[in-house]
Amino acid sequence: MHTLIVIDRPPYGSWSGRESLDMAFSLAAFDQPVSLLFVGEGVLWLSQRQDASAIAQKSVERNLKAAAIFGIEALMADQSACQRFGLGDGTLIDGVETVTDLRVTMRRYDHVVFPG
Amino acid sequence: MHTLHIVSKSPGHPRFLECLSMVDTNDVVLLTGNGVVALADSSIEVPSPLYALEGDIQARALTPDSARCQVIGFDDMVALTIQSQRVISW
Repeated sequence: MHTLIVIDRPPYGSWSGRESLDMAFSLAAFDQPVSLLFVGEGVLWLSQRQDASAIAQKSVERNLKAAAIFGIEALMADQSACQRFGLGDGTLIDGVETVTDLRVTMRRYDHVVFPG
Repeated sequence: MHTLHIVSKSPGHPRFLECLSMVDTNDVVLLTGNGVVALADSSIEVPSPLYALEGDIQARALTPDSARCQVIGFDDMVALTIQSQRVISW
């Protein structure tokens, strides 16, 4: 039962994004296949060089970079959202697969979740 | 009547557009929290003069165009609120 968690809210502004990351890592910890798809303003989670110290928060960049080690199958981002926010090679975290057709991508999963 | 609009919602949030529709000619807009996402969003028009909080910009690894927006810290934010007759926190 492969789960896809879709993150469409920008980082740091609310806790929903962070909770969805915890959900993904917990699923992976119990050997449940899980992948993450970032769409809309959610693609900003995948920017390099995030420095959240000034707003007293931990940067999520480290967890995302280690996603594969934690057992997350895939980190995907919507191509058009990346263009909209000017994210590409050099500004996106390594190992992110950009996808163009969200419907096709979602159909690959048994269970799709939009947290928050 | 000089109003300071403090926007902490991202462009995706309905309140962001409501705010833009209320900005008069000599009003000032300050982006905080998720509001700074607007600086990276090529699909929307931002008003000017425009300010944005440095801490939120750094957290999201944004590189705003200084011609379009002035990046400020908290003390400048306080100064902005004092200078304006009215503050709306969106």
